[in-house]
Amino acid sequence: MANVITGKKIDRRTFLYGTGAAVALPLLDAMTPAFAVESARPTRLGWFQTPNGIMNLQNEFFQKEAGALELGPILQPLADFKDRMLTFSGLDSQQAAGLGFEIAGDHPRACTAWLTGTHAKMTAGADIHAGKSADQIAAQHFGQETQLASLQVALESAEVVGSCEAAYSCAYFNTISWRDEQTPLPMEYRPRALFERLFGAAGTTDPKVLAALRQEDRSILDAVGEDVKRLRGKLGQKDRGKIDQYTDAMRDVERRIQRAEAQKDRDIPALEGPGGIPTVFSDYFKLMADVMVLAYQTDMTRVITFQMGHEMSLRSYPELGFTDSHHSQTHHHGEAEKIAKVIQINTFHTKMLAYYLDKLRNTPDGDGSLLDHTLIMYGAALSDANLHLYTDLPILMVGGGINGIKGGQHIKYPSRTPVTNLLLTMLDKAGVPKVDRLGDSTGRLDLAANSKSVDAASRRTL
Amino acid sequence: MFRTSTSALALGIAVVGAAVFWRSSVVPAETTSSPTAAPFDQHMIWGTYKKYCDTCHFGPKARGNVNLETLDLSNLNVNGATWEKVLRKLRGREMPPPGALRPDEGTYKTLVTAITTERDRLADTRPTPGRPTMHRLNRAEYANAVRDLLGLQVDVSELLPPDDSGYGFDNIGDVLTVSPELLERYLLASGKVARQAVGDTKIPTAYQTYTVAHGLKQDDRMADDLQIGSRGGTVVEHLFPVDGEYEIAVELQRGRAGELLGNGRVRKLNLRLDDQAVHDDFTVPANRGRRADINTQVGKDTEQGYKVRIPVKAGMHTIAAAFEKDTVLPEGIQFRQRFDAIQSYFEGVGAISIVGPYNVQGPGDTLSREKIFICHPASADDEIPCAEKIFTNLVHHAYRRPVAADDIPALLTLYKQGAEAGGFEQGIRLALQKVLVSPSFLFRVELDPTDVSPGGVRQVSDIELASRLSFFLWSSIPDDELLAVAEGGKLRDPAVLEGQVRRMLADPRSQALVQNFAGQWLFLRNIPAVQPDPAAFPTWDENLRQAMRKETELWLESQMREDRSVVDLLTTDYTFVNQRLAEHYGMKGIWGNDFRRVAVEDPRRRGLLGQASIMAVTSYPNRTAPTVRGKWVLEQLLGTPPPPPPPNVPFLKEDAAHGKLSMRQRMEDHRTAPQCAVCHKIMDPIGFALENLDGIGKWRDLGGDEGTEPIDPSGVLPDGSAFDGPAGLRDVLVKRHDMFVENFVERLLTYAMGRGVEEYDRPVIRKIARDAGPDDKWSAIILNIVKSKPFQMIQTGEKGA
Repeated sequence: MANVITGKKIDRRTFLYGTGAAVALPLLDAMTPAFAVESARPTRLGWFQTPNGIMNLQNEFFQKEAGALELGPILQPLADFKDRMLTFSGLDSQQAAGLGFEIAGDHPRACTAWLTGTHAKMTAGADIHAGKSADQIAAQHFGQETQLASLQVALESAEVVGSCEAAYSCAYFNTISWRDEQTPLPMEYRPRALFERLFGAAGTTDPKVLAALRQEDRSILDAVGEDVKRLRGKLGQKDRGKIDQYTDAMRDVERRIQRAEAQKDRDIPALEGPGGIPTVFSDYFKLMADVMVLAYQTDMTRVITFQMGHEMSLRSYPELGFTDSHHSQTHHHGEAEKIAKVIQINTFHTKMLAYYLDKLRNTPDGDGSLLDHTLIMYGAALSDANLHLYTDLPILMVGGGINGIKGGQHIKYPSRTPVTNLLLTMLDKAGVPKVDRLGDSTGRLDLAANSKSVDAASRRTL
Repeated sequence: MFRTSTSALALGIAVVGAAVFWRSSVVPAETTSSPTAAPFDQHMIWGTYKKYCDTCHFGPKARGNVNLETLDLSNLNVNGATWEKVLRKLRGREMPPPGALRPDEGTYKTLVTAITTERDRLADTRPTPGRPTMHRLNRAEYANAVRDLLGLQVDVSELLPPDDSGYGFDNIGDVLTVSPELLERYLLASGKVARQAVGDTKIPTAYQTYTVAHGLKQDDRMADDLQIGSRGGTVVEHLFPVDGEYEIAVELQRGRAGELLGNGRVRKLNLRLDDQAVHDDFTVPANRGRRADINTQVGKDTEQGYKVRIPVKAGMHTIAAAFEKDTVLPEGIQFRQRFDAIQSYFEGVGAISIVGPYNVQGPGDTLSREKIFICHPASADDEIPCAEKIFTNLVHHAYRRPVAADDIPALLTLYKQGAEAGGFEQGIRLALQKVLVSPSFLFRVELDPTDVSPGGVRQVSDIELASRLSFFLWSSIPDDELLAVAEGGKLRDPAVLEGQVRRMLADPRSQALVQNFAGQWLFLRNIPAVQPDPAAFPTWDENLRQAMRKETELWLESQMREDRSVVDLLTTDYTFVNQRLAEHYGMKGIWGNDFRRVAVEDPRRRGLLGQASIMAVTSYPNRTAPTVRGKWVLEQLLGTPPPPPPPNVPFLKEDAAHGKLSMRQRMEDHRTAPQCAVCHKIMDPIGFALENLDGIGKWRDLGGDEGTEPIDPSGVLPDGSAFDGPAGLRDVLVKRHDMFVENFVERLLTYAMGRGVEEYDRPVIRKIARDAGPDDKWSAIILNIVKSKPFQMIQTGEKGA
């Protein structure tokens, strides 16, 4: 079936057999919305992290020199998007460095610092401490207009045994998104639960069903509101505080329902909710990617943070033809065979990204596509995972055309430029009101190749 | 001692850190109030104060900020916190400090008795029962309430987020907040629960996966519910909401990198529903783990075959998947585990998932429908009256009180809305959702009667008492009998109250006390999260993790149900083991995965401090932590926590030279600094006494990094009591059993009241401990808590504006 607006063909997805669950992702019916939707679409933000660094010993990821973007082997799957892409060198996360007394911890420090620019406190206990992450700053701003402030998605369960280091709480490994310095946000890895967060328990996006559910929820809340009023009158002072918490929560939920109501004429593709986690990784990725695209498309949220796997991921990728675990291969100590496998895994991941970008490109949004309005940062929290380095982080950005960003270039920043400077620049471009600083940031970045005109502040040596 | 310290910090710590009732080997029998004692002798107290205390503790610049001038000798309820501090110091003989003029033993005893008696007398005649903040049900309570109200087992870890804790427990009213995310989850949960409970024939297809713990060895029969002759596998209980078809699928167990486990033999996989085979045995092809035939794993789901789609009747059913047992086993290590790989000779079951319903046939006949539909409308005219009956019954139980006139109309409105769209049962379903989200369900409401003035005290109503009882003993709503007794006004009759308490303790639901009270008090809830380093502890595995937790839970439950003395927790000579745990403990001749009661022959292993679970939650991932263990004993068992460490304490040096030293020697370094030594002198000897039990509770005679350093488990406490090893430490603790019992009472009271313990509760705690003696039985302590003023009464609050 063809999309009347762009004339592009949209592939019909076949049923996926996950863990005994049938997943129906029929045709995306993306035809009429262009007329129904406002023309100036907001910018969406996305942060995609892949674990265990990205091989770049021989410039497999990006080139050495600033200038026109040349795609190394790992970036080849993204060739179609070259003109929207920028790669950066010189960015790092100094907060990932270990302080003298700290035991190991390169992985958890790295992934914690990636979006927060703060130093993860070494503890295995409940007193974890980092900092607010860039995506949550964006979420706070955009969340006023969307049903969900942000989504956090990962392709790894938080329960994998043996994947945390001794001195650091698993909480550091299980997320890259922090609401504040003590509150890591859980990353959803279950397709079904993710779907339900967006569309409720009905298991479908059928607008009639959703409207009926909303109606029910509203009636329930109305009825409960009466209870609350009556109860409050009888309570003592201290207890009224508790009931007021409940009332505040009710109002928040009602607001979300209202927003959903206001957006109900927005065309949502008819979908059945997914089931279990597919065994094959690429199926799993595609399933979650489809739901994330849906979240952007329906403006349920404008901020998505995604992890291809938890930092230090042990996952293996049998579909690539070998069963060695990712983490073990990244400690290659120079062995050619291991390096080759790492490159395969890294390339596979960018291939997954390409699927996602392609889907965004094929989803109309206002007078263009979702991809035209989405600013995505993709990369790893470590650069050389063999040596656990966090300097010269492998980072790319997709967002050429947004707010004057010029794609198709590789920009080389002075070494030790904090990656948080890039995060702040992204927030600026997306229209988040000016943020003074984020973690170890020193200023903004000028997204132009051959630019010596980096913010004076970021030239400061660290 | 404290006079020679140079820094104020050291001074402060020296004063406080000499939390040294170790000085006293006197069993504080003097805390017994004597009701026949002379009235409080203000003159004597004043004289003693002038002679020994007021040099330092007088006026705004009083030492340690303890200004005894603020005390009112005519009313020991004023500044109660200071009085309790005074009492604590006197009981421990810590004040006046050594070096200052001190009273003789007789004077100490008189002082303590006098103050205790007077404080306790006032607590009795002018009680301060406190006022817990309105208490939101935590998720365990929510699950149990749903279970008892609707006959439905729900998995709250899926439905609701974890609750915050305070004072060591997650049922503290002040700490349990309501956020918008939580309310959304309540709404979502209400829909799922209501639809399942009612048997909604339009219920959306659900996907439920039960995952077997990663790394669990499946080399033997795993559970009693699995067949004899089975090997490995798992059994789950699942609620099928309606009559219909369901797809049941089995996934195989995978290793760390996602590879299938197994070593090259064809297997038979058996799948049963309620012990009936639902299919011919599946044939599982030979898997070779890491040397697997790549083609079987690449790009394909190799497990499309292990599933069936069968009709199932609504209700709870068990699903079991297991392999046939081998008749011949190979020799050698069958299961190797490293941090990045698992290799197993045996295939295992990784998960069971259930999808459905499809082709719904009808609502079926379930326990929850029985509980909800106490009537069925005979005709259309009968629908509203029947709905009213149903709601009256539900509200009565869900809100734990007699139904009020304004409870029903809102439910009827919702009913009509739902019935219009989908019929009678949909109407009931929608209204039931409201019940589950209502603050009357989610909060434990205790209302002051309108004619009571604020700032006083009142007895809680019988209805409120019933809820306090059921949430204390069952973490759930009151049952029919308890409600009836309360509504009949009989609950305050002492004989009736005691009868109900005993009945409730004997009921299986009191298992909640083990799960929720003991589980948090003893840190058992941390067991799923401990991450022992496989390099340091090569024998560690998932089976051991599960077994050690089960041992302690079974053991605690037996202690409670056999109504033993709580001091037995320190000393009992039996425990529960299965084969895995027996191997860990070095016990011989125990086979199989099932747990059985055994005697603990080794006296060093008896009681709480010999259990692997306790040792595991008080260790670091790669070594023991004597300081952590010492602190745990002081805080959790004796109620005398050491003060927090100063900031910026560096970690133990982990270099090679230090590896040669024993743990004790390494930690000597950290006790040479006087401001550290003050507290570590008390904590560390306790931990060293337990050094023979390694980081996962296995006995070892040698320690150090290489396992070559001899362990010296002897120690001397600052008051001179010496001990040797775990058995010696235990004897020392038993000598201080009064402190142990008081601490137990304090913890259990915190849990029972859902609020932290304040100074005005101290006399109450002393009284409960006294009244429960000399046997100190579980039931006696629990009963005395129930009879105590804080449990029976409440302070009346300020009316809201």
